[in-house]
Amino acid sequence: MSNWTGVLDLNMEKRGERTVARDVYFHGAFKVMRPIYHEKNNYPCYYLLNPGGGYLDGDRYRMNINLDEGSELTLTTQSSTKVYKTPNKEAYQENTFNLKKYSYLEYIPDALIAYKDAKYLQKNRINMEKGSTLIYSDILTPGWSPEGDHFSYEEIRLKTEIYMERELVLYDHILLEPKSQDILGLGHMEGYTHLGSLIVIGEKTDSDLLDEIYEEIKKEDGDFSFGISELEIKGFTLRIMANYTQVIERIIHRCHEIISDRWYNKKPSFLRKY
Amino acid sequence: MSNILSLFQLCDSTFPNGSFSQSFGLETYIQKDMVHDSESFLNWLRAYVNEQLSYSDGLAVKIIYEALEENQNEKIWEIDRLLRVQNLARESREGTQRMGESMLNIAEVIYGFEYLKTYKRRIKNKESFGHPAVVFAIAGYQLGVEKEQTILYYLYSTMIGIVQNAVRAIPLGQTTGQSIIHDFQKDLKKATEKIMNLDESEFGVVSPGLELSQMQHERVRIRIFSS
Repeated sequence: MSNWTGVLDLNMEKRGERTVARDVYFHGAFKVMRPIYHEKNNYPCYYLLNPGGGYLDGDRYRMNINLDEGSELTLTTQSSTKVYKTPNKEAYQENTFNLKKYSYLEYIPDALIAYKDAKYLQKNRINMEKGSTLIYSDILTPGWSPEGDHFSYEEIRLKTEIYMERELVLYDHILLEPKSQDILGLGHMEGYTHLGSLIVIGEKTDSDLLDEIYEEIKKEDGDFSFGISELEIKGFTLRIMANYTQVIERIIHRCHEIISDRWYNKKPSFLRKY
Repeated sequence: MSNILSLFQLCDSTFPNGSFSQSFGLETYIQKDMVHDSESFLNWLRAYVNEQLSYSDGLAVKIIYEALEENQNEKIWEIDRLLRVQNLARESREGTQRMGESMLNIAEVIYGFEYLKTYKRRIKNKESFGHPAVVFAIAGYQLGVEKEQTILYYLYSTMIGIVQNAVRAIPLGQTTGQSIIHDFQKDLKKATEKIMNLDESEFGVVSPGLELSQMQHERVRIRIFSS
């Protein structure tokens, strides 16, 4: 189908020591800014932005990110993703990430804010080859309404499928549907308002790393609850419930720091937002 | 009469499927004192059965039953993998697999169904993982028990295992436990109706709080359950 509101294709490749974009294509209400090479990194950080300011009724976005063998990329957003009310048809985003051998992707977008009566569906498909590394995060807020009520949106649904060498290794299906769920109740958000997820897949994952991350997160300030667990393949999921976006961002950043230090002996970039 | 008694055998609390060692995060709630009596336990049980169990195991039984009706064998193995990879809490994932294998080993012997033999062979060859919902759906279908009944009995068998564990762990009295099993039957019927109306695209919806408690269980110090 070609009736996309916004399309983005980003193909990365390694030239010598440096990762560069072989081609960048965007169309409609989807853009990336000029890449930034943070500090001493020899790979770029791309900032996604939505020139329209947010997703509207029936909007459809498609993003394809391809990382050639050995290439590295940081992908983030310039600001939070806003989904305005969708009286007729949900807003939809489809993301595909193809990670060739030994490639490395950090996808750390800002939080999602669904406005009153908004319905949003996002599908992520991540195809990985052996030796590639993924750091994926998302943060769901209780949304926005003129009255200041939490959870006034209609529905947020995120489906993530990760394939390793063509085999499904992770399936994550988050559905927040405040009107038909006891959203703050036991089993659901249990009094918290924000939900954060971090999915890490990398061959260097081991239980020592998980122990360390667990102990470090426990030291963080603020009211939150979290769980961390190893995946079917080398990797883990971290889930955080809290009451502020910043608390989740801080915890995700702390994990990112630990991973960058243990695996690459470096610090992750501070993702400047303007 | 269908072979309903044969399927009952899988639901029987004496059937050695290893459910006595799995709490699926309930033990975390007990340690946090969020579950401490029959009322708070019922609260948890409703969340677990109506959400996590319905969207994963319950829906899986329905999809597999329908796949068997339509001779779409590949679908069975696809759902076995989905059940495995959607369970992001390691202990629950591994515990469920052990239960699936225990159930399969006995079911294959007592029923002798070809699909169960294939399932066992696939697990041995590391092509499949093993899950009680898959075994149960195959057994129900092959025994000629209706789809809706098969789902209901599956929920029932899971529920009695959990209630027995709650009786030991909270603890609750035996009569209280049996009252819960009795009173919860209407909830199971409602959950079954919901599952019958679920589409495959609804598979695996996560309940964040339940999932966190299952992940946190790995770090619970004193424990009588392995999940």
